[in-house]
Amino acid sequence: MATLSIDKITKAFGSLTVIPELSLTIPDGEFCVLVGPSGCGKSTLLRIIAGLEPINSGRILVDGVDMSGAEPPERGVAMVFQSYALYPHMDVRRNIGFGLEIARTPAAERAGRVRRAAEKLRLSGYLSRKPRELSGGQRQRVAIGRAMTRKPKLFLLDEPLSNLDAALRVGMRIEIARLKAELASTMIYVTHDQVEAMTLADRIVVMNGGRIEQVGTPLDLYHRPANLFVAGFIGSPAMNFLKGRVAAVREMRATVALAFGPQLDIALSQRVEPGEDVTLGIRPEHISFSADAQSDAYVARAALVELLGSDTFVHVREGDESLVIRDSRGRMARAGDSIAISFPASACHLFDKPGRRISQGAPSGFEIDPAAAPA
Amino acid sequence: MVSAMRAEVMQAGQAGAIAGRRAGSGASRLYLFTLPATLLFVVFVAYPILWVAGQSFYTRSGSGETSFAGFANYAVVLGEPTFWIVVRNMALWGLITIPVQMLIGGLLAYFIERHTIVFRGFFRTMFFLPVVTSVSVISLVWVQIYAPYYGIAQEYLKHVGIVMATSPIGDPKTAIYALIVVNIWQWTGFSMLMYIAGIANLPGEVLDAARVDGARGWRLAVHVIVPMLAPATKSLLLLGVIGTLQTFPIVHLMTGGGPNRASEVFGTFIFKQSFVLGDTGSGAALSVIVLIIALALSLLQIVALGARLTPAGKERQ
Amino acid sequence: MTPPARLRVRSVVIHAVLFVVLAIWMVPQVYMLSIGLRTPAQAFDASLFTWPVTFDNFAMVVRDNPLGGIFLNSLIVTVATVAIVVAVSSLFAFACAVLRLKGSLLLYTTLLTTLMVPLASMVLPLAILLKNFGWVNTYIGLILPYAALGVPFAMVILKSFMEDAPRELFEAARVDGCNAWQTYWHVALPLVRPALVFVTIWQFIVTWNEFFLALIVLTRSEMKTLTIIPMQYSGLYMANPGALFAVLTLIALPLILLYVLVQRAFVRGLLAGAVKG
Repeated sequence: MATLSIDKITKAFGSLTVIPELSLTIPDGEFCVLVGPSGCGKSTLLRIIAGLEPINSGRILVDGVDMSGAEPPERGVAMVFQSYALYPHMDVRRNIGFGLEIARTPAAERAGRVRRAAEKLRLSGYLSRKPRELSGGQRQRVAIGRAMTRKPKLFLLDEPLSNLDAALRVGMRIEIARLKAELASTMIYVTHDQVEAMTLADRIVVMNGGRIEQVGTPLDLYHRPANLFVAGFIGSPAMNFLKGRVAAVREMRATVALAFGPQLDIALSQRVEPGEDVTLGIRPEHISFSADAQSDAYVARAALVELLGSDTFVHVREGDESLVIRDSRGRMARAGDSIAISFPASACHLFDKPGRRISQGAPSGFEIDPAAAPA
Repeated sequence: MVSAMRAEVMQAGQAGAIAGRRAGSGASRLYLFTLPATLLFVVFVAYPILWVAGQSFYTRSGSGETSFAGFANYAVVLGEPTFWIVVRNMALWGLITIPVQMLIGGLLAYFIERHTIVFRGFFRTMFFLPVVTSVSVISLVWVQIYAPYYGIAQEYLKHVGIVMATSPIGDPKTAIYALIVVNIWQWTGFSMLMYIAGIANLPGEVLDAARVDGARGWRLAVHVIVPMLAPATKSLLLLGVIGTLQTFPIVHLMTGGGPNRASEVFGTFIFKQSFVLGDTGSGAALSVIVLIIALALSLLQIVALGARLTPAGKERQ
Repeated sequence: MTPPARLRVRSVVIHAVLFVVLAIWMVPQVYMLSIGLRTPAQAFDASLFTWPVTFDNFAMVVRDNPLGGIFLNSLIVTVATVAIVVAVSSLFAFACAVLRLKGSLLLYTTLLTTLMVPLASMVLPLAILLKNFGWVNTYIGLILPYAALGVPFAMVILKSFMEDAPRELFEAARVDGCNAWQTYWHVALPLVRPALVFVTIWQFIVTWNEFFLALIVLTRSEMKTLTIIPMQYSGLYMANPGALFAVLTLIALPLILLYVLVQRAFVRGLLAGAVKG
């Protein structure tokens, strides 16, 4: 367990700056997920935290102690690598206990810790096997075991699930969640998969181009994305974005005219001027549609309908914009049908031209009722 | 495109992130890893080369005095007719042994790897045995083989109508060729083994794809396998050139460079100048010349062909 | 002919051709053995085989010559050289490939020039050097120069293998707390084991059979290695080729037997990626 403070660090490889100044504090015991698209710097940041990469400026503090130049073991770091990096010539027992072996832990104690880790990870029968005799999931558990036995202050995981097939991934996600409950470490987890982030994290750090876009709990990010990037990154399928213009402003409410058609009334958190270009964001699961046209609902034609059994996805196109609607209540439609779409104002997000959120967003815990007509 | 570039630069940076870098005493101690090799090199290789290079600029007069001679030794050496015989011999040696060994070795490798199963290990081992036989044994055996009256070469050549007046290694016209035959006999197994490794490591999927495309048997071999063995071929070429220039014990033991210098090679020439005649100056000049030729030819191959000493390693972007 | 039958015939033909080629290729060695088994009367017969066969030559040669001691000399020199070469070159390859020390690449390329220097040129200065150290006619006088000459090729192969190993493995070692030496010993070396096997065997063959330097350095007969004694026997047994070839057979035998024993490991090391297509 340890508090990690990253204080104004920068990182460049030669002349290429990958992380222009970044600061972040991860409190003791938190499960923090670094998420973002490829090349955003999340893996680099993890390696910097681990001590595998030096920083160009700034400080790394573990429990208040400056560890900027320190080696991984000094920082109390253990790491699960993306490729697991198991020592191929050592059996599982030795792989798991290797860190302790190097630290000159007495053999009896080492054997005990290895045994307990193996039990927790259901590897007890595999201790004498070599990595090449194990399946992908088993190898991953060995990698976790190796990190676990060192009782680290900081437990780092670098895209641990990306090498597994889909079915295995779900199972391992649950295992990691279980681990999170058992271990006392501060855990830092890197992934490009926002579903993993949403399900595992206490807090998520969304990164893009070496910068932090937003830090918050999963639901924070879901209900109150700070900008277009976070809004489009979190949530699957992604949020719909529609172009619009501010028609009128009254106190802290704006009437927005969408190129798509309807006009909506949105509560603001920042001032805007009439005539400004804005972007409206609404999640597919918050739009509702019905076959019978209600008087003030907006009518459109379903271009494509995907039936998944549990969900129905309806794709609508208007000009050069398109919309995806997700319905989980069993409503049906066919391609070519005319449907009435309604956008609940409380579920709409508004972003200004540079991409920052200017609407109030939903308070957390707010139940969005898609049946509510637009105001 | 930008992200690909980033990935590359990051990779290069990550490369250094092994075994930790701390300012101060830690880093310099790591150079201890390179110390033994460097020490051996400096004492037993660098020093002799430099000594020889230095010697090449001095001559020793009859009375034993040494005097600075500038490039005189080089001029003398290059002017000697023997030098040009040597160059001719070395060219012949390289131009004959390298392709022939590659061809025979390659054919053997192909048939052994792709068309035998039970006897594969047997053939691989047997053809390599001449490589592990010492040169002193080989030279004496072949001298016997080549002997005109009691050697078996004569016996078999009789059937083809050739009668030898003297041993092939005693005849100035045929000496170098006789030696080349011995060299090919000894070292083909090495080429074979390199090609065996190359063939065994050909990605199966590419061969399957070629077969689906309709290439089988001979055509598969010529149009797919041979081009894919290019790294091994280039490697053999590089090693072959270096080895040719280094040729010495076999010639020294079988013909001594004779008769009448007909089979002289660089090694024997240097040996005679330095040891036998005691003319260390010209022997040294010769050594430097050979070194320069070896470096030049090797660099040429590495730069122009991308040859490497072992065609190992994955393709690095 | 049905395709399977045709394949079978082709396989038989190929095997037959290979055996014929092999038979021709083995003639010199068979010849050597054959003469060794001949009486002095038949020794000069111009044929591959003669009957009857006698082991007298072998008996005499073994009785009259301290072959055992000479074999021991070869063994000591070769084993020591191989050990040094493997240790030294693996350390150096590690520094280049894993530690990526600054300037190591330049050093690496410099050391490679060793391969291009004609041995004949080095013999004189080496002889003088060894005389100055007082190492003529000693084991170490041969072992150290051999090691210096053998390191470049070994380090090329080991460096290549180490570069191919996944980097994350070394980083995991670092996270586990290994310093450079521990990473070398616990991780790098085991990872490149096939290459180590290959280098060991190759260096053994090359060192055992080295002729010229041994001739220069070891002048006292009790120090000589197996490789250089044929020269003195060719004079000794000039009139008795049978005895000469018996000795030659005995001299060539150890390494041939050794190679037959280790060839599987040798080829496996080679195939493991020392040479990739």
